Amino acid sequence: MTIFTFALKRSFSNKTNLLFLTLFPIACIFFPKGEEWPFLPYGYQYFGIIILFIGIRLATIILEDRAKGLVKRLAVAPISHFQYLSQNLLAYSIILIVQCVLVVYGGVLFGQELYQPGWLLLLYISFSFSSLAMALAWISIYRNKDVSFLMYMAIIFIVVMLGGIIIPVEIFPDLLKRLAVIFPTYWLGQGINWVAFGEEILDFLLINGVLWLYTVVFMIIGSIRKIQ
Amino acid sequence: MEPVVFVNVWRFLIVGILMHLWIIGDFMVSTFTLILLLLMLTSLRWRFSLSIWWVCVDVFICFLYFPYTTISYYGLALPIFELSKKGKGLFSLLLFGSLFITSESTSILFWFYLQALFFGVFSYIALKNQAAFQLEIDEQRKARNELEQVKMELLVASQTASEQAELMERYRISRELHDHLGHDLTGASLALQAYEYVQDPNEAEKVLQEVKNRLERSTKNLRETVHNMTPIIEIGVERLESIMQHFSQIEVQYHKSGNMLTVPAYIWGLLESCLKEALTNVARHSNATKVEIDLQVTKSIVRLSIQDNGTEKKNSQTGSGLRSLQMRSRSIGGSLSITSRESGYLLVCVIPLEKGRDG
Amino acid sequence: MRILSTVKFTALRMIRNYIVLILLLVVPIILITFFSFILSGYVTDVGIPYINENAMTMVVVFQLFGGSIVMYLIHHDLFAENKMRMYVIPFNQTMYAFSIMLCGAIYSIFLGILLMVYSQFVLSVIWENWIWMTYIISLVAILSIIVCLIFMLSVKNYKIAERLSELYGVGFVVLAGLFFPMPNHAIFEFLGSYGNPVTLAMGAIRDMSISNTSSAWFQANILLVVIIFLFIVMLMVGRRKMG
Repeated sequence: MTIFTFALKRSFSNKTNLLFLTLFPIACIFFPKGEEWPFLPYGYQYFGIIILFIGIRLATIILEDRAKGLVKRLAVAPISHFQYLSQNLLAYSIILIVQCVLVVYGGVLFGQELYQPGWLLLLYISFSFSSLAMALAWISIYRNKDVSFLMYMAIIFIVVMLGGIIIPVEIFPDLLKRLAVIFPTYWLGQGINWVAFGEEILDFLLINGVLWLYTVVFMIIGSIRKIQ
Repeated sequence: MEPVVFVNVWRFLIVGILMHLWIIGDFMVSTFTLILLLLMLTSLRWRFSLSIWWVCVDVFICFLYFPYTTISYYGLALPIFELSKKGKGLFSLLLFGSLFITSESTSILFWFYLQALFFGVFSYIALKNQAAFQLEIDEQRKARNELEQVKMELLVASQTASEQAELMERYRISRELHDHLGHDLTGASLALQAYEYVQDPNEAEKVLQEVKNRLERSTKNLRETVHNMTPIIEIGVERLESIMQHFSQIEVQYHKSGNMLTVPAYIWGLLESCLKEALTNVARHSNATKVEIDLQVTKSIVRLSIQDNGTEKKNSQTGSGLRSLQMRSRSIGGSLSITSRESGYLLVCVIPLEKGRDG
Repeated sequence: MRILSTVKFTALRMIRNYIVLILLLVVPIILITFFSFILSGYVTDVGIPYINENAMTMVVVFQLFGGSIVMYLIHHDLFAENKMRMYVIPFNQTMYAFSIMLCGAIYSIFLGILLMVYSQFVLSVIWENWIWMTYIISLVAILSIIVCLIFMLSVKNYKIAERLSELYGVGFVVLAGLFFPMPNHAIFEFLGSYGNPVTLAMGAIRDMSISNTSSAWFQANILLVVIIFLFIVMLMVGRRKMG
């Protein structure tokens, strides 16, 4: 588990990462509550966006490895690509899970109305994995860290808009409503709605299942080994 | 672009079509999982080469969704494609049977399946051809590599053979001298030594006569041996010079310097080939009017440079003759370079002389 | 004259930077189109289509990010890789920096105008007063370029300056209350009205469209004063860094 501990340490070594990894999630707790929409406080509605950003920040560490030729060196080291990738991802997912726990239970302590914090945590964790997998698939296209980050930022803008995180899906025209389903962010939004009003547990399981399916798909695409 | 790229693009395109159908259709949100599952299998096929039996998973997933959404019928195009891509197109015809149980527009579905089958068969053939070509190319490459190997070995062998021949020749010469001159000269020398001690004048006269005879005989023998051993054909620098003399199309200027005798025979062979090739090229391809040939032999190298004043530059590629000469000169540690400049083509052949090998 | 001959290449470098083009032109076009789908049919209290308001917001907001390319070029040419090359050339480096600034401002305004043209002819958004609109977006563009340069000149690490410039853009958008309403507090109140270039610019445009000329000029002049003040700050910081 050397790679695992090292990946954990590395994620916190960069100052910008530190900001993304600690300050932004904590700031989320203190955002106010909306009037009609969203149903959860703003910070919790927008936490999905932050998860997407954290996902790409963490995944670009792998891209950096590739750019520095570290992957090439690992290829001749007695370590499989699977070990390298899985231990890195494990470290990243632990960071993400810790953040989700912090945000959800921090909010409970702070006194935010979260309806069903346990289920919300599960939803955030599922979405964190999808976000990480998406970022992984995204960086497999790129060679340059900054370019991949900037382009992903543009993608996040669009996905978040079309997925109905910033604007409720209900006011979309019909075609856009159907189109929104393609994006993982739609399912996050639906999950948040379920946390606020949902009763049928099966619906919630479906939402999480879809997020996990996205995770698997993007993980398969992103797990490709590229040596520059 | 390899055919497999198109195969993958086609697979993802089909998933795109399914998504499109889902968006324009009026299905339950939960049926979107079907598309995600098929997408998962498609990306698995993109990353790994799955066994043919995985199409059962596709078919099973589509089958599960039959009651819920008609997209599952369209999804069957993927297993049809995979089956025919593996050359099992006949099995995929079984899946056409689903046309009889669907409520969807059968004719469109039929054409959709048919194009999947068609493209599957096409990819099957394309991939098979590619594999065959690959094999063919590999074999050709291997054969060419072996040929190069043999060529290099032959070059080395010819060099050692010429060295061997030189040694044999020396041995023959020494034996010849020993056999024909040695006895008489030794006898003469012994007789001369004996002459000093002979008291009787008659006896001395006889001995002297004997010495004279022997010297005469050995002189004759020496002349005969040398005559016998001198080759009738020209070798070495004379050979080169005679080639130049016989080259009458263009004016040739010739300089030489250094001790030509230190150059072994196999190098003369190469230099001769170079000269011939260069002069032929000049005569055939160039508009030159004058050729300068310079042969220098120093303690460590032989350098042959051939410079013409041709200005045409149509044939700038190195011909096969020059290439093989380059190879030969490289195999004995030298180099051959051809440069074309404003003032004409210049061919320079430099070959190191090996020291201490035949000492 | 030497500076003038570099302008062509500065412009080319800006146009060839496809990331900037995507972020400042393609993304806002997608967003405006998307919003025009959603908001078609809605009108504000005063009867203007909501999409007008939205397109205006997009045009102004994306001007906030126009400073990054200028920051990148000046850093690259005068402080990083090309520094030595630039300093051996017999020309005035300060003038060169200004020429890059000017190019960047024109480029940014040009992209803004492209957005306006697109929304007018494709999405039939009506822009009341093109000249006033152009004037306001040029003010915002110049302001964000100066702010970005101040960041770059006063922070040692270029990466951090870049992040700060992003924070400046996103921060003022958030403070303007475009994502969600800000809490009722005097500081937030100020930063959501007269302390925020986005709201100032939008206010100026809005007031001009309802012929409230004096208020419009007032808000535009605040921007102008801030620009002049920050320009002097930038000169001072830059003098220290370049000297």
